[in-house]
Amino acid sequence: MTTTMGRLAADPASATWTIGAARVLAGLDRNAVLDARTHLDTHGPLPAADLGRLLGLLDASGLTGRGGAGFPLAAKLRALRGQRPTVVVNGSESEPASVKDRVLLRRTPHLVLDGALAVAVALRGRRVTVAVHDAAAAAAVRTAAAQRPDGNRVRVELVSGGFVAGEARALVRALDGGPALPPGRREHATDHGVLLANAETFAQLAVLIRLGRHRFADTGTRTEPGTTLLTVGGAVGRPGVVELPLGTPLGIVLAAAQAGQPRLVVAGGYHGSWHPAVPAIELSRSGLAAAGGTLGAGVLLVLDDSTCALGELARVTAWLAAESAGQCGPCRFGLPALARDVQALCQGHPGAAEIALRHARAVDGRGACRHPDGTARFVTSALHLLQDETYLHLHHGGCGRPVLGLLPIGGRP
Amino acid sequence: MTLEIDWTRCDGHGLCAALLPDRISRDEWGFPVLHGTKLPPDTAVRRAVAACPALALRLTRT
Ligand code: SF4
Ligand code: SF4
Repeated sequence: MTTTMGRLAADPASATWTIGAARVLAGLDRNAVLDARTHLDTHGPLPAADLGRLLGLLDASGLTGRGGAGFPLAAKLRALRGQRPTVVVNGSESEPASVKDRVLLRRTPHLVLDGALAVAVALRGRRVTVAVHDAAAAAAVRTAAAQRPDGNRVRVELVSGGFVAGEARALVRALDGGPALPPGRREHATDHGVLLANAETFAQLAVLIRLGRHRFADTGTRTEPGTTLLTVGGAVGRPGVVELPLGTPLGIVLAAAQAGQPRLVVAGGYHGSWHPAVPAIELSRSGLAAAGGTLGAGVLLVLDDSTCALGELARVTAWLAAESAGQCGPCRFGLPALARDVQALCQGHPGAAEIALRHARAVDGRGACRHPDGTARFVTSALHLLQDETYLHLHHGGCGRPVLGLLPIGGRP
Repeated sequence: MTLEIDWTRCDGHGLCAALLPDRISRDEWGFPVLHGTKLPPDTAVRRAVAACPALALRLTRT
């Protein structure tokens, strides 16, 4: 039962590696940062693309947002046609286990700017705002903007890094000078004349514009062409940001990440779900949906037998409860109740699992944002999976394993 | 008609559940639980929407 423990490096300039050919991460094996010249050498010039061509490319590739919600980018462009929107790159990356967007902004900022500026030009928007919550990413984007002729349209904003503050509508409010909180009414960023997508989404668009629809579809699945980025961490020997073809089986990623004896994976981040480490699970939106989960924010965390999975769950649930923005009653009271339930479960209280499942159902869908829904999914999927552990904690006072903290919370750069 | 709750406004003192006991109950923290969101636009529903002191209830045509 000895495995190489690898915690996700606290340094977001952590390793990048690829399965198959690198696209978004191209050049990062040889360069710490792609400046304007190395970017051009690696990717070549960006072909011009008007709105019609962008929509054609996006429709053919079905490119969806890579921040968690998975909304098609083409639909956002159509909603804002003729409105000259501000283009916002969401680089706030509020998932504590995710570093992929920061790695892109710090190490290959021109690729992200290529995609964002292409959208701004096609929609005749005036400005691109890059929202980040760490100074290193801000500096890298500013440096990159200064290196390019169209960089004067780029503005960098440092925003708060809370989990819910990274939600699209909360971010739009914060950029408007309001509170970094989701609004109570159902509305979208597009309602405010803002085209917002996450950093990877724009980088993928820049790849798509260069490759064209056919070459873009050389990898990935028929319905989900191309690659995706995953932040891989937990009980692996080779943590980091990984680019892989959509549809790659989980087993291949686990082997490449040097996971010794993977038993469980958390996919999609802390609004995602727990799964047994079944090698056949396809890492794509549809593959994870078939497994009852989500690709979410592109996070894959591996757990083995070295740690107490219930204890890991309790830590993250407590963190999620603390991240509630406290605006909405069921979230404000329900998530702390849920966190106490999971803690009670760890302590072997009879009936705690049932109460936790009931509280998860009670918060689901009852907030201004998806935080309660995502938290409910995370906890519920874990409780269904961790029945052996639950038994051990109930009847034997625990599973005898320490809580190693393989699921990172806080301590973000 | 669909009944929507603005959760950022609702303070959970339960007037709506008192006015529409067949349609709205309360969770253990006092916040309203709708029994189905599709409602006929009858007077009782409209009255409950108007009575919410936090202006947290909204009827939409869908
Ligand atoms: S649901 Fe929770 S996290 Fe979302 S806005 Fe309401 S209180 Fe904040
Ligand atoms: S009356 Fe309004 S504030 Fe009171 S519980 Fe109902 S919706 Fe919430």
